[in-house]
Amino acid sequence: MSGGRNWTVRLREAGVRAMPPEKLLPDGQPVYMSSWIYLFGVLTIAALVIIIGSGVILGLKGPAWWHYTGIGHFFNSVHLWAVELFFFFMVIHLWGKFFMVAWRGGRARTWMSGAIAFLIAIPCAFTGYISQQNFDAQWIATQAKDGLNSTGIGAFFNVLNFGQMYTYHVLLLPVIVVTLVAAHILLVRRSGIVPPLPLSELGIGEAASEGVAGSAA
Amino acid sequence: MKRKRLSTAELNAAARDYEGPYKPYDLVKELCIAVVVVGALALLLTIFFSSPDEPPSTIAQWAHQLPADFVTTAVSELDGTSDTAQYGPPYNNGPSAQFAWILHPQAWLGVSHPINTAEDYVYEPLASIPGDPPLRAATATYKAASSKNQTTWTTNYTNALAKATVGPGDTLKVATGNYGPVPKMMDALLALAQSGGLDGALLTSSQFYQTDYTKPLLFMADGSLLADRAQAQHLLGGQWGMMNETGSYPGQVWLWLYTFWYQIPPWSTSANGDLLVFLVMGVLSIALVLIPFIPGLRDIPRWLPLYRLIWRDHYREARLAASRPPAGGGGTGGGGGPPEPSGAAAA
Amino acid sequence: MSLAAIVNLNHPATYVHWHFFDMSVSNIVVIVLMIIVFFAAILLPFPGSRRRSES
Repeated sequence: MSGGRNWTVRLREAGVRAMPPEKLLPDGQPVYMSSWIYLFGVLTIAALVIIIGSGVILGLKGPAWWHYTGIGHFFNSVHLWAVELFFFFMVIHLWGKFFMVAWRGGRARTWMSGAIAFLIAIPCAFTGYISQQNFDAQWIATQAKDGLNSTGIGAFFNVLNFGQMYTYHVLLLPVIVVTLVAAHILLVRRSGIVPPLPLSELGIGEAASEGVAGSAA
Repeated sequence: MKRKRLSTAELNAAARDYEGPYKPYDLVKELCIAVVVVGALALLLTIFFSSPDEPPSTIAQWAHQLPADFVTTAVSELDGTSDTAQYGPPYNNGPSAQFAWILHPQAWLGVSHPINTAEDYVYEPLASIPGDPPLRAATATYKAASSKNQTTWTTNYTNALAKATVGPGDTLKVATGNYGPVPKMMDALLALAQSGGLDGALLTSSQFYQTDYTKPLLFMADGSLLADRAQAQHLLGGQWGMMNETGSYPGQVWLWLYTFWYQIPPWSTSANGDLLVFLVMGVLSIALVLIPFIPGLRDIPRWLPLYRLIWRDHYREARLAASRPPAGGGGTGGGGGPPEPSGAAAA
Repeated sequence: MSLAAIVNLNHPATYVHWHFFDMSVSNIVVIVLMIIVFFAAILLPFPGSRRRSES
């Protein structure tokens, strides 16, 4: 039975057309992927998993918990170091993709979704820093307000309002970050991993390997 | 063979499809291993270094440790000369709203969190002190006085506070002078603050539950306590503070470019420095997202060919294939690997 | 009270100061590490990379 007027069927068929299962979860990768730099995307995702996991535990016990119990402080430390690792791996991933010219061949949206995820991760981390309820939070909030107020954002994003900032931190911004990362990964799966730059860039002979991207017709 | 630089369009066309060999790979296992490895790393860093947690400052601490600074700040809130009183939107219509050329976004978005510094930081807290008729009379006297008298009193008192000494119980001793009812009001406010009552009083509003610390934080930020602590921890704007964490912990290294502009003129010297920094970073952030479309910027990796290191195995095999005499029927794929595994995406 | 860390970082940081450049040693270590790890990632041989070389 074709899609016809059945929205469910049409959505399912469009989804399967755009992303067949073998494309969503392939069990092979191009042979040119033989560098450690290719691991930094998945390392960034792994750090995000640890951030969310430790963040969930912090959220379960409420924002004040980690100030007065050793186990709470422990999970707060894991959360903080996971954030440092997240940005560490993400920036190296960005450098790698930049030097691979990874936006070639219709992959501009992959680059853009990744860059936007980075830019949204920054205020996500920022709202975390000001939700700490310690001196660092007081200082960062009273300083950041000047920058945000100057742009008018402070009129509806009050960094001195703990309740608002905590909600942005544990819900609103992580949802956006995770959505962007998911879109980023789906785009990678859709277009495939970008091939190496053509051999002509290096002056390698035109009788190049068949099937490897060479000079365009 | 002479190197041939393709145009951007040709590069894009060449990169669209890959028809070459694949090797087996397990993405799910890779992710699981990565989570275990990164989790172990985070655990190790936690065990070795823990994390910072400097306790927050309170208004009570401020009033005890720096009573002259507290009272000086309170007087500036009373006479409308404090940073908050002069701030502009979103707190009030003070004159210090930032702008850049024709852009006045701070003013355009308006007063969304109104603060009247004299009311919120002096009159209302004093009114909450029960049964003190001389205090009520002093406050009434001040309110009823002409603005010329008010300014004379507060200016004289502020100048005298600069030479004040701290007596027993963290009280203030100020030289006599023409201050009107201001000392009476400020002594009461200082006592209220030192008792901890002001921390609570500034949080109350028309509703029971509170999460909004705007009023107490703005008040503390108008004084020196937070800034003194921040300077000791190297957190001031001019100390690249945006990147730093308390203690010796690594901070927010990814903010290096945001904080960089605050170190050099004109951003470091302009009254509109914050807006100017955000405008520059806004443009640079958009440029980061749009790199694929910006000629020159998108070509840097071709001029600085680190990709040759990344794909050196692939290029080595291609060179070998190119140097071999062609087999009958045309060259086959260089470095033939295993046949395409099932499920591998062809393109 | 928190569990004591093996290395106590709860003391003022050391700063490298040169003209207007002013950065903590901790942050410099992180940045230098990132650069080292990036170049290590693209320079270090990847397992299986020699497997397909023609003899």
